[in-house]
Amino acid sequence: MIAGLIAATPRRALVLLGLLLAALIAAPLVLDRYLVSVLILVLWFAYVGQAWNVMMGFAGLLSLGHALYVGLGAYITAGLFVRLGIGPLAGLPVAMAAAVAVGGAIGWLGFRFRIEGVYFALLTIAFAEVTRIAFDHLAWTGGAAGLFLPVSAETSGAWWNLRGGPLLFYYLALGLAAGAFVLCAILRHSPLGYRWLAVREDAEAARALGIDVFRARMAAVTISAALTSVGGVFYAFYYNNLFPGQTFDISRSIEMILGPIVGGLGTLFGPILGAFILTPLGEGLIALTEKAGINAPGAKAVFYGACLMTIVTMAPNGLWPALKKRLGIAGEEA
Amino acid sequence: MSALLQVAGVTKRFRGLVAVADVSLDVQQGEIFAVIGPNGAGKTTLFNIIAGVYRPDTGSVSFDGRRIDGQTQEAVCQAGIARTFQIVRPFPALTVFENVLIGALLRAPDLVAARSISGETLRLLGLWERRNQKASALTLPDRKCLEVARALATAPRLVLLDEVMAGLRPTETDRMVAILRSLNREQGVTILLIEHVMRAVMALAGRIHVLHHGATIAQGTPQEVTQDPHVIESYLGAEAPI
Repeated sequence: MIAGLIAATPRRALVLLGLLLAALIAAPLVLDRYLVSVLILVLWFAYVGQAWNVMMGFAGLLSLGHALYVGLGAYITAGLFVRLGIGPLAGLPVAMAAAVAVGGAIGWLGFRFRIEGVYFALLTIAFAEVTRIAFDHLAWTGGAAGLFLPVSAETSGAWWNLRGGPLLFYYLALGLAAGAFVLCAILRHSPLGYRWLAVREDAEAARALGIDVFRARMAAVTISAALTSVGGVFYAFYYNNLFPGQTFDISRSIEMILGPIVGGLGTLFGPILGAFILTPLGEGLIALTEKAGINAPGAKAVFYGACLMTIVTMAPNGLWPALKKRLGIAGEEA
Repeated sequence: MSALLQVAGVTKRFRGLVAVADVSLDVQQGEIFAVIGPNGAGKTTLFNIIAGVYRPDTGSVSFDGRRIDGQTQEAVCQAGIARTFQIVRPFPALTVFENVLIGALLRAPDLVAARSISGETLRLLGLWERRNQKASALTLPDRKCLEVARALATAPRLVLLDEVMAGLRPTETDRMVAILRSLNREQGVTILLIEHVMRAVMALAGRIHVLHHGATIAQGTPQEVTQDPHVIESYLGAEAPI
């Protein structure tokens, strides 16, 4: 399957991908700690953007509540670790199962009762908000006061419990982003991937071709939720502190989806490109305002809003389709 | 021998309006069967009942001896009935090839098989040269061909064609007629078509069923139907003796 995919990809695209991967592997050797931390953020947003793109880009389902799955992944593994001493590797399947169950429940409600389009998006927001409020009051995970992971000396960290320094998290984020890219490439060119595209384009016509629209959509929601929850596990063990108000916040849901929109919905490289453009600019803006001594907490949001408006008017399909042509690899559907 | 498709006493009401009134028809394996009638006669509603879009209020639809009325559209397609839409609905952002590939995936065991089925179907419909174009970039006649190709790629035993000739020029109509006839003869696909273009109906159909205000007014061979006084009066036009 992967061999067929590689054979179908233009050589030029493969070479460029290889160069990018090599550069990212080597990056921590030359970059300082701050830049590495920015790159970790970039890769994290590339990963969760890819996961969100499975729903919106492939199956045409708008979720504005993906912070829900980040939060579930984060809180479940962190809670198990802090309260019960269960490591994140053992907690991961639990977190993914919970995300699949919640995503499946939202999907079932939405698709069973024909809540479509914008109304489905509202449903996803509602679930994320309800969960945020629930975690605000859940004593087991610290409620609104937050949940804190024990921080050991970085170098003596137990990597299997995701205790370690920036390099551990950098390569973990790189692995996640690269893995999600490959997984999505496989999905996109699988029979399921083609069914998703059909459902996205015209659900009624898809039904007439014998496609079970409900099942295709459920598959998209559950796969996307499971992938996103893994991003949540990373988030918890990287930041070591969790607050429901931050973790489940709608602004996080929005920030997660900007990358794929700017990069190109439904494309494989769009989420990565979008993350590489938006996150450094956003972080740079914060650094700049801090240096200038201006206290402007909303600056990043305003900036992202401006970016989104520019993209929607100038290149509604995102930047990747246009850039792809420039790079001379336009043949690939990716 | 029982019919491949059996529609028995089907009635469908939308609020007060009776769209289809007690219609019965049998389509035999291997034939080309046409449903004609003026606009609003209930032809497309009848199609939608067969294809699983609507559930009939009364009556039944059986395919190959099994009841299919009340089943979902995807189940009807999986059973072996493919349909086209009167207003074509290609997947606009996908290529011509991908459009047909999605149809082929219904029965193909894997992508390789689905690709080869798609290639054959596209060649058959004369769309092979346009396989890498986006469906949204096609002209209307090509989109109609694509609609037929996509339906055929599901390897149906019965195809429902909803006005595939409408909007085509006479030469294109002749090409479509030739394609449908060869499909029917060489691959044994049974065809049920709704059509306004009488030239195509006459060239293709073995039997014709005429609807008017949702009810059957005639059924028979093309000769019988075109000489039927009810049909001439309500549809073909009283002033045009045939």
